[in-house]
Amino acid sequence: MRNLRRLKSWEGLLLAILVVVVVNNAVQSPVYLSVENQVNLFQLFVERIIVALAMTFIIINGEIDLSVASVMGLASCLLAFLHEQSVPMPAAIVVTLTVGVIVGAFNGFWISVVGLPSLAVTLAGLIGYRGVARILVEDRSIGNFPEWFNRLGQQPLLDPLPLASIIFFILLVVAVVVLQYSAFGRYVYVIGNNREVARYSGVKVRRVKMMLFIASSTIATLAGLLLAARLGAVRGSTAEGFELDIITMVLLGGVSIFGGSGTLVGVGLSILLVLNLRNGMSLVNITSNTQTGVIGALLILSVLIPNWTQDARSLLSRRRRTGHTPVTGEEKGG
Amino acid sequence: MNKNLRAVVSLLTVAMLLLAACGPAATTAAPTQVPPTKAPPTQPPPTQPPVSGEPVKATPGQAVSMVLLPKFLGILPFDQAHDGAEEAATELKNPEALQFLGPTPENSVAGQIEIVTTATTQGVDAIMISNNAGDQIAPAAKAAVAAGIKVVTWDSPIPSAEGEQLFIAQVDFDETGTVMADMALSILGADGGQFAVLSASPDAANQNAWIAAMQEALKDPKYANLELLDIVYGNDQSEDSYNQALALVDKYPDMELIMAPTTVGIAAAAKAMQDEGLCDKVKISGLGLPSEMVSYTLNDCAPEFALWSFVDLGYLTYYTSYLLATGAIEGKEGETFEAGRMGTYTIEKDPTRDAGLRVLMGPFTVYDKTNVEAASK
Repeated sequence: MRNLRRLKSWEGLLLAILVVVVVNNAVQSPVYLSVENQVNLFQLFVERIIVALAMTFIIINGEIDLSVASVMGLASCLLAFLHEQSVPMPAAIVVTLTVGVIVGAFNGFWISVVGLPSLAVTLAGLIGYRGVARILVEDRSIGNFPEWFNRLGQQPLLDPLPLASIIFFILLVVAVVVLQYSAFGRYVYVIGNNREVARYSGVKVRRVKMMLFIASSTIATLAGLLLAARLGAVRGSTAEGFELDIITMVLLGGVSIFGGSGTLVGVGLSILLVLNLRNGMSLVNITSNTQTGVIGALLILSVLIPNWTQDARSLLSRRRRTGHTPVTGEEKGG
Repeated sequence: MNKNLRAVVSLLTVAMLLLAACGPAATTAAPTQVPPTKAPPTQPPPTQPPVSGEPVKATPGQAVSMVLLPKFLGILPFDQAHDGAEEAATELKNPEALQFLGPTPENSVAGQIEIVTTATTQGVDAIMISNNAGDQIAPAAKAAVAAGIKVVTWDSPIPSAEGEQLFIAQVDFDETGTVMADMALSILGADGGQFAVLSASPDAANQNAWIAAMQEALKDPKYANLELLDIVYGNDQSEDSYNQALALVDKYPDMELIMAPTTVGIAAAAKAMQDEGLCDKVKISGLGLPSEMVSYTLNDCAPEFALWSFVDLGYLTYYTSYLLATGAIEGKEGETFEAGRMGTYTIEKDPTRDAGLRVLMGPFTVYDKTNVEAASK
C-alpha cells in the first residue's frame, strides 16, 4: 500500500507542475487559452497520445512495444499505396486495419506463445515494419487523398473538435474503465507484478499478452490512418521516432518500466503536462533544442524521484525487518 | 476505489477546464497582425499595374512579426540565412524581432508542422519556410494562409505549391543541373567516367529537382562519357552521409566521383574519402560551403564545388516577405520590387512547379583552389 501512496504523490506532483505550467502559459501568451490553440495543442500530438494509451497497458504488463511508430508508418504507407492502386478509400482503410490486427498478432505470437522478450521482438518490428513501409512508397510522397478523408483529418468534426481528438477522449474513457475497473485490467497489473504468481493463480497470461499486443498494433494502425488524414500526404518516414515521444509520456506518467504499477490518471496528467509545456514554450518562441532538453530533464526526474523515495522506504522497512514487498496490483482488488 | 474515481474526475475536470476556460472571448483573430491602415501614405497604392509599374520600394519601420523556419537547427547554411535575414530586418527597421525557429533534425517533419501551426495561432504576419516536409506541410501552410498570414518558402519549396504564396529560389533549378554536370565533366575529364549522387533526404524538393535537372543536362552529347551509377540518400546527417559515401565506394569499384548536392553530404563524403585515403581515386563535388570545404579543396579531395550565398538568400527572403506582409506587393506574377542592396527582382512562374510562383536569386559561384580560401574567411 505504500506504493499506492507513492503513486498518488507522483500524480499530485504532476498535477501541481501542470497547474504551474498552465498558469504560466496563460500569463505569458494571450493566445494560449484560445479554443484554436487548445485544439491545436491536442491535434499536433493526437496520434501519439492515442498510442500512449495502449502503451500504458503494455508497460504496466511488464512489456514494451517499440514497433508502434513503425506500425503507424506502415499503416499510412499501406493506405497510400492502396489508394494509389485505385483501391476505394473505405476498402483501403478496412484492409489497413486488418493488417494492423495481423501485425499485432504476429508480435504477440513471438512474445506470448514462443516467449521471446518483447524488447527484441518489437525492436525487430520497429525495423521490419518501417522497411515494408519504405518498400511500399519508395522515395515518393503520396497524397491526393479524397477530400472527405483529408477533411476528417484537418477540419473539426464536432466543432471545435476534429475526429482524432474525439477518438482520443473516447479511447481514454474506455481505457480507464478497462484498466482500472475490470477483471482484465486487474490481470494486466498482476502479470506485470509477477508473471509466475499470475500464472499459478490461474490468470491466462498468454491470452492477456496476446490481446495487449493486438490492441497496441491495431490502435497504432488507427493512429497511422489519422496521421495520414491530418498530413494529407504520406512518405516512408512518416511517424518515424514517435515511439520515443510515446514511451516518454507513459513513463513520465509514473508507470514503472519494470511493470506492475502506474495509472491512466498519471499518464493522462503527463500527456497534458508534455503537451501544455511544449505548446507554452513554442508560444514564447523557445527553440526545439531547449524544448527537447526540458522534456528530457522531466523524464529523468520521473525516473529518479520514485527511485529515491523507494530507496529511502526500503531502507526504513529493512530496519523494521518487515521484508514485505507491496504489490500495487492489489489496489484494484476492491 | 473512491480515490481512483476522484482522481479520474479531477483529470477530466482539468481537461475540461483547459478546453473550456477560454470561452467565447477567444477568437481566431491574430492580435499582432498589422491592420492595413498601418500602411503609411507614402506607400505605392496596391492597385498599381504590376507589369509596367516602377519597381516597388519597401517602406521601412513597419511592424511585422516574422518567423524564419529552417529545415532544422544546427547547420551552418541556415545560420547564414538567419544572418542575412537579420541584416534585412535591421535595414528595414522592423520594430518586431525576427523569430528564428526550427525543429531538431530527428523531428524535422513533425517539428516544422508544429512550428507553422503555432505561428498561425500566434497570429504572426509572415512565415518563411525552408520546407523539409514535402507536401505534408501543405495543410498547416494552407491554414496559415487562411488566417491571413503570408507564407513564403525559401531554399526548398512546397512541391504542390499549396499553401505557399512565393518561393525564393536560390538559383535556377535547371542551372543547378548544368553546373553539376559541368563540374563532373571538368573533374572526370573528356574521357568521362562513372559517378554517383549522394543526396539529402528522399523528399527534399530542392535536391530532387536539381538531380532531375542534372539527369536532363546529362542527355547532352557533350556529357556522353559520364555515367550516373546510383543515387543514395544521407538524410543531411553527417554520419549517414559518411557511411553512404563509403558504401558507394564498396559497391562501385570503378566509380571516380561522388556528386553531393547538399552541404552536409559533400563535407561528409569528402571527409570519408580523406579518412580512408581514397582522394586519389574518388573525387567529391557538388554544393558545399567554402568554409567547410576549404581543406578538402586544397588537398584535392574536392577539387571543385559550387554554391550560392545563403546570407543573400536569407536577406532576399526577408525583404520579399516584408514587402508581402506590409501589402507593398501582392505576390502576383509580374510584380517587380527592389530588395535593398541586392537590386531589382520580378515575380515569375516557377518552371519546375506548375502552380508555383518564384523570385529567382542566383547566380552560382564555382569554387576551386583559386578562390576557395578567400571565400571561406
